[in-house]
Amino acid sequence: MTTITLRNLRKEFDDVVAVNGLDLTVRDGEFLVVVGPSGCGKSTTLRLLAGLETATDGEIRMDDRDVTHTEPKDRNVAMVFQNYALYPHMTGRRNITFGMNATDSFADEEIDRRVAEAAETLDITDLLDRKPQAMSGGERQRVALGRAIVRDPDAFLMDEPLSNLDAKLRIQMRAELTRLHAELGTTTVYVTHDQTEAMTLGERVVVMDDGRIQQVDPPQALYDFPTNRFVAEFIGDPAMNMIDVAVEDGVAVHDGFRIPLPSGKTVDGTDGEWLDGTEAEALADPDAGDRPTAVLGIRPEDLYPARDRPDLGETTFDATVEVTEPLGDSLLVHCSVGDATFKMGAEPRSSLEPGGTVSVTYDPARLHLFAPETGEAFYHSATAPAPAGRIDATTND
Amino acid sequence: MTDTIQYAKRRFEAVKRSIVGDRDEESTLLAGREGNAGVHLQLWFLVTLVVFPIFIAVVVSTKQQGIVTSLPDLIPGTYAVENYREAIVDYGFGRFMWNSLLMSVVVVVGKLVISVLAAVAIVYYRVPYKDLVFLFVLFTLLLPVPIRFVPLFQLINDLGWGNSLLAITVPYLASATTVFILRQHFLSIPTSIVETAKLDGVGPVAFTLRVLIPMSRGVLVGVSIIMFVYAWNQYLWPLVIIDSEANQVAQVGLQLLQGDVQGGQLSWSLVMAGSVLTLLPPLALMILFRKPLLETFAIQQK
Amino acid sequence: MSTREIFDGRLQAALLLVPTVLVSVVFLYYPTARAFRTSFFKAGFGRAEEFVGLENYATLLTNSSYHSSVALSVLFAALVVAGVIVVSLYVTFLIHEVDSGQDWYLISVIWPYALPPAVAALVFLFVLHPTLGVLTGPIEAVGIDLDWFNDGPQAFVVVVLAAIWKQIGYNVIFMIAAMNNVPNALTETAEIDGVGRFRRLVSVYVPIMTPTLFFLVIINTIYAFFGTFAFVDLLTSGGPSNATNILIFDLYREAFSYFNFGVASTKSVVLFLVVAVLMVIQFRLTEEYSYYGA
Repeated sequence: MTTITLRNLRKEFDDVVAVNGLDLTVRDGEFLVVVGPSGCGKSTTLRLLAGLETATDGEIRMDDRDVTHTEPKDRNVAMVFQNYALYPHMTGRRNITFGMNATDSFADEEIDRRVAEAAETLDITDLLDRKPQAMSGGERQRVALGRAIVRDPDAFLMDEPLSNLDAKLRIQMRAELTRLHAELGTTTVYVTHDQTEAMTLGERVVVMDDGRIQQVDPPQALYDFPTNRFVAEFIGDPAMNMIDVAVEDGVAVHDGFRIPLPSGKTVDGTDGEWLDGTEAEALADPDAGDRPTAVLGIRPEDLYPARDRPDLGETTFDATVEVTEPLGDSLLVHCSVGDATFKMGAEPRSSLEPGGTVSVTYDPARLHLFAPETGEAFYHSATAPAPAGRIDATTND
Repeated sequence: MTDTIQYAKRRFEAVKRSIVGDRDEESTLLAGREGNAGVHLQLWFLVTLVVFPIFIAVVVSTKQQGIVTSLPDLIPGTYAVENYREAIVDYGFGRFMWNSLLMSVVVVVGKLVISVLAAVAIVYYRVPYKDLVFLFVLFTLLLPVPIRFVPLFQLINDLGWGNSLLAITVPYLASATTVFILRQHFLSIPTSIVETAKLDGVGPVAFTLRVLIPMSRGVLVGVSIIMFVYAWNQYLWPLVIIDSEANQVAQVGLQLLQGDVQGGQLSWSLVMAGSVLTLLPPLALMILFRKPLLETFAIQQK
Repeated sequence: MSTREIFDGRLQAALLLVPTVLVSVVFLYYPTARAFRTSFFKAGFGRAEEFVGLENYATLLTNSSYHSSVALSVLFAALVVAGVIVVSLYVTFLIHEVDSGQDWYLISVIWPYALPPAVAALVFLFVLHPTLGVLTGPIEAVGIDLDWFNDGPQAFVVVVLAAIWKQIGYNVIFMIAAMNNVPNALTETAEIDGVGRFRRLVSVYVPIMTPTLFFLVIINTIYAFFGTFAFVDLLTSGGPSNATNILIFDLYREAFSYFNFGVASTKSVVLFLVVAVLMVIQFRLTEEYSYYGA
């Protein structure tokens, strides 16, 4: 049971800044997922936690121990790698116990008991006498997990552990990891590039880009209240539509549509304070002259053909259908309006033909505005109360 | 005599026909048509060429008189045991073989040990200037025995090692090739496995013995064969530095046999027996361990 | 930025490197340096060394028999390298193409890798012996008077053939690996385009194998210069009348027949320059063509 605290953590490789001043608290017993595109610094962060890299600056604390310069073996963490990192010449059992033997601090009976226990938890008793080459990918990853849990570490550090598995097994192992975490309650930091994995596994999710934390929030809050364009576009598939608009009298104005902005909320530090479209206008780019500009963000799943959702109100606009992509459970429609293009989710089997015109409506509670220069979000139209834990999550203390 | 020549003529005609036949097959190939019979035929011809001299050597080594000039002469004789015994015992070939074996084993084991140590340091230690050390070792590829055997001869005599096992082993112990192959192989072991060892607090000795060496078995066998063949086949340096027959190696022992046969004291069958004996150890090892050997060669070229 | 450098101990690392470095310095670098030094001296057994400056080099520059030895070595190397490459490539291609028995054929042609040069030389000596050789009859039957104990050019050819024979195995080992690495899709594309087998070898495989072929050309050149001592020593002893007196044998005689260690060292230095140039060429070519192999 351990709380991990990172303060102003920084890592430079030659002239590349991989991790740029990270402040983060991993709560005791939490399953925290770090997600981001490759090269964002997420793996380096994990390796700093493990002690495989030495921080250029800043501090890592585990509870009240400062472990910034502690040897990996003295940190009492266990790491699970993407490629399992099993010793090919050792049986499952030897793989699991090799590290314990190396440190010499466990009695033989204790080791046997723990291996049996871990094997049962992970259902790998059959694999203990097999070598890795005689195991499937999923089995190997279970043995690698066994090696991690058998040492009863203060924290699990997982570096894309499911990325080498096929899609079906990945989903199965995801559920398995959730169950395991519920059972063991060990603080876990899990790194992935896959936003679906991040959303499904994380109690909280850290989105990183360019060596910095972009946002730390529970999955739903991340989806509903992205703090900037990067998070908005990274989380969610297909990505959020971004359309340049002008903001006039509380209305997002575009050549092809006018969308009124209902009362919403900001995330610019005046947290919890409600805001309406007029105020949003004041926050849009004021240097743009008469018509302050902003970037309007709407997720494809919050746009509808008007005839499918008459309940959403009367504001509709016409768009041209460019391409349709049947996804089975829905139809993804690529549309254009004026100089903008966007994607829209529609009912499967909708009769929308490329070249035709479609009347589009949207969910007024799911509008976002971003500053054109900085990409920071300054307005979300959601009027529902923020999910629990959200308010202190951004300040992360 | 005339018969022999007649036979040879006919035989040559046959060979010529088969070559010309092959040419025809080749033109089939040129046309891109499948001609696997032709491919087999050409391969058989080439294999025969490559194996023929050794086949003759083996046949001759079983005969009383080492003369093979006609077809009936190719039937193996009955003097195999006698010839090999004579070569090994009377002409000291057993002694030469033993010296060669000793030299080769010491070179292989010594090289293997010190090269593994060096490669471990070069790959797994974070220390300054190690790349320079690696370059320093690699640069010795420019210094094969033939360009330094004259001063080496003087040095070994200065050290008082002349005529000894030390003289034909120690100078061979540093091996750029072995260090290079091991380094390449170590670099192919996934980093995560190495890092797991670090997380587990596995020390350098345990890491080398329990992780690295078991994961490098194939390569270690492969480089051992390469080094054995290399050491066993050394000729120039033992010729120069060893001048007592008791300490001589098989390669130079062959030269001594040849001297005897030129002097008319010895039949060719004994020389061929000695040749076959000298060929056997490296050949056997190569055939036995060809798989790791070929895999190791694949690493070497990178 | 993962790393394999998991240990820090500088002293440990130094200790691990000491044996290799020590042997390299004492038995490789020092003798080489000593050869350079001695090349400026008159030296021999039991004689005091006498500094002579560049005299030894001047001797080599003006000595016509050394010049012919250089020319001979270059011709020898060219023939051996060309012969080995062509024969090995041909054999490799046949093995690559054959539909069955590949392993058997392969082992039947790569075994000469293990063949000791001394054995190769003696067996060749016997098989082609002017009076006793089993091939002598057939060869003379075509009208060639086999007399290579006395005929220089014939002796030269015999040594070249023996040297080629021994080196085929090593070359096929590398070539078959390179040829098997040619993507199957390229072979299939060539077949669909109706490219004949021979053209496929020349226009598809050989260009892709270029890095390996360069590597082998260099290795074979070094072999021809330095690995063929046993052939000359056992087959011809440099004769008849110096027809097979290639540089390495010439150097050996200078040192251990005439005991001119000074001149011998000078000849060593010349050979070192030969290796150095070859290695530099190999390095350049590998750099230049490395993208082929990727």
